[in-house]
Amino acid sequence: MSLITSLTKRQPATTSSDPARDIREKDGRLAFWLVVPSLIVLTIVIAFPVVWSFVRSLYGDGIGATPFVGGDNYANALWGNGSAEFWDAARFTYFFTAVSVVLEVLIGVAMALVANRAFRGRGLLRASVLVPWAIPTAVAAVLWKWAFDPNGIVNAVTGWDLIWTGAEGPSTVAIIVADVWKTAPFVALLVLAGLQIIPEDVYEAARLDGANARQQFLRITLPLVRPALLVAILFRLLDALRMYDLPAIMTGGANGTTTLSVLVVQSSLSQLKPGYGGALATLTFLLIFITAFLFVRMLNVNAVEQAGVRTPRKKDSE
Amino acid sequence: MRTTQRIAMVAAGTAAVLALASCSSDASGDADPSDGSPAAEDAEGVGPITFASGKDLTGAMPQLIEMWNEMHPEQEVTFLELSASPDDQRTSFVQDFQAQSGNYDVVWGDVVWTSEFAARGWLEPLDAEAVAGDDILPAAVESATYDGQVWAAPFMTNAALLFYRSDLIDTPPTTWAELREDCAIAEENDMQCYAGQFAQYEGLTVNAAEAITSAGGAFLSEDGASVAVDSPEAREGLQNLVDMFDEGQIDPAAITFQEQESANAFLDGSTLFLRNWPYVYTAASEEGSEIAGKFDMTVLPGIDGPGSSSLGGINLGVSAFSENKQTAKDWVEWMQSDEAQRVLVSVMNQASVRTDLYTDPEMVEVSPYLPNLQESLMNAVPRPRTPNYNAVSLAIQQNAYAALQGDVSVDEAITTMAADLELAIAE
Repeated sequence: MSLITSLTKRQPATTSSDPARDIREKDGRLAFWLVVPSLIVLTIVIAFPVVWSFVRSLYGDGIGATPFVGGDNYANALWGNGSAEFWDAARFTYFFTAVSVVLEVLIGVAMALVANRAFRGRGLLRASVLVPWAIPTAVAAVLWKWAFDPNGIVNAVTGWDLIWTGAEGPSTVAIIVADVWKTAPFVALLVLAGLQIIPEDVYEAARLDGANARQQFLRITLPLVRPALLVAILFRLLDALRMYDLPAIMTGGANGTTTLSVLVVQSSLSQLKPGYGGALATLTFLLIFITAFLFVRMLNVNAVEQAGVRTPRKKDSE
Repeated sequence: MRTTQRIAMVAAGTAAVLALASCSSDASGDADPSDGSPAAEDAEGVGPITFASGKDLTGAMPQLIEMWNEMHPEQEVTFLELSASPDDQRTSFVQDFQAQSGNYDVVWGDVVWTSEFAARGWLEPLDAEAVAGDDILPAAVESATYDGQVWAAPFMTNAALLFYRSDLIDTPPTTWAELREDCAIAEENDMQCYAGQFAQYEGLTVNAAEAITSAGGAFLSEDGASVAVDSPEAREGLQNLVDMFDEGQIDPAAITFQEQESANAFLDGSTLFLRNWPYVYTAASEEGSEIAGKFDMTVLPGIDGPGSSSLGGINLGVSAFSENKQTAKDWVEWMQSDEAQRVLVSVMNQASVRTDLYTDPEMVEVSPYLPNLQESLMNAVPRPRTPNYNAVSLAIQQNAYAALQGDVSVDEAITTMAADLELAIAE
């Protein structure tokens, strides 16, 4: 973020001779050169792969020759031979994202509210809530795969006799449960940070005015924690839309649980079709980008402020 | 507004990382066979080499390599152990080949990869007389052959067996009809009748292939150039599996089974028949096993008589980018020798590619399943041999799975499979 800040800061200063501005310009120039290394690294690890993947997606996938095919790979994915699986995957990815993010937010907020109370063993509770988040997704996936085995603990505890990963509905439920278990603590963590900066006297004042618990939550807690909450949702949204590990390990993409990322990996790595795979990756990227953009625009999320980057930017950017 | 733009950029950056996935399979790597050979530094191609292998679950590979290294100190083989997952192994090989680095002189390849690696010009052609002679199992040789040329040295082979509970079954079934009659015995004993591997993964391709080839069907033509699955035989084979699921003769949970889950269902004594690889023998006969002494093995059932197994196994390929090709070729040949293959059978407990070892009394003593396995191997059919194997396998898995789930009729599944295979081999 500081990169963008310093770049925008530099521009208005170039034509002035005000000494204060000169100093700022010097600072700006120094800042610019300080961020150049990061800029180069970002170009190499982000811009180059994205552009290269796009360029590659315009070429074919034959063995030996790979002719230029223009938009054929895209046409194939959107309305050609691959369209059925692409749109099925898109549908499942968005369904999975919607359901799991809603559940994660509800549970995460509840966890944060509990963890924010002062009571004995609070430290232990906060630490234990974070355990699922600390477990790598792939490991969590294997864990839940065992739990949802026909002879696994889920059937043993519930007394059901369900083949969880053998049918569409139960597979979806299993994957969503695993994701919620793993990432609700992440939402809780961010929301807890937001809760802790709400001063206690606001609540005292509310109590004096006779506000009940529900009113306090809706009128004070929620509005004040909103920025942190929206950032948490944004992160979860981006994360859930690129979900790969859970379906790949728990179902192998069977029973309608193929996500867009599973499809990308299947095409580009398993079937060695970098052109078609590149097209799928670019389409997935666009879908996620548009979703995130709409979310940010509609809810006016202020991610940078919340991330704790407090620069003097506000003053001089206007 | 400005903030919004910044957020959008954050979002873009995060999303962009996603696209990295597609980039690791590099565009430039698909080498044309004609320009693929790097100049050998050593004119004779003799010198130390590196053997990139899958995870050595037997722990005995270093012993084999040590034997060679003692005889050839100037041409030492370095053992490089990769992941236990075949998909990860393949990814490592593909990356090495695409980079044309020659870091891996010899690669350990699943039999179904040979065609693809050969077609992409990544393997050095081998001399058929040296590595695919009469003493090597014909089915294994076939798996190493692509477009009339031998591209790898068969090293280990594998075929499936039908495990059954000998305490409950006197004469094992040789046909599916007989097996399904025996399911009454399972019911009497409150057991599941039959288990195989029916989760949607490579194991389902193997099981579906066995059902279809045992009924006289095939997926692709002999040369892999055209689709042959749209036949009454293929429908009959798949229908048999679907009927067994419908009638509860296959454990309903088997729709999620891979090798280990299905083996467990047999090992805990709850299943009458199991289709699996010979390795289950070791676990089943171990001290403390629920079924020790209560099971036996035979060949897979078919429609009118014994069926045919899918062929598993490992072929050793010499990289086209290796600098010491001569040593690499000599070594893979030695890995097939009687000396090396005896270690393979007796120490590693794997199936040899040498025909004569199956009847060798010393070897049968160690692995009593060898005669059954030989019979299974004689009828074994390699999975489709095509450079687009992964796409072909996915088309088989998805359509067979839909039929087993009852989402589509067998007729529809086979028709769609034919269309999907058509696309898979066209790419």
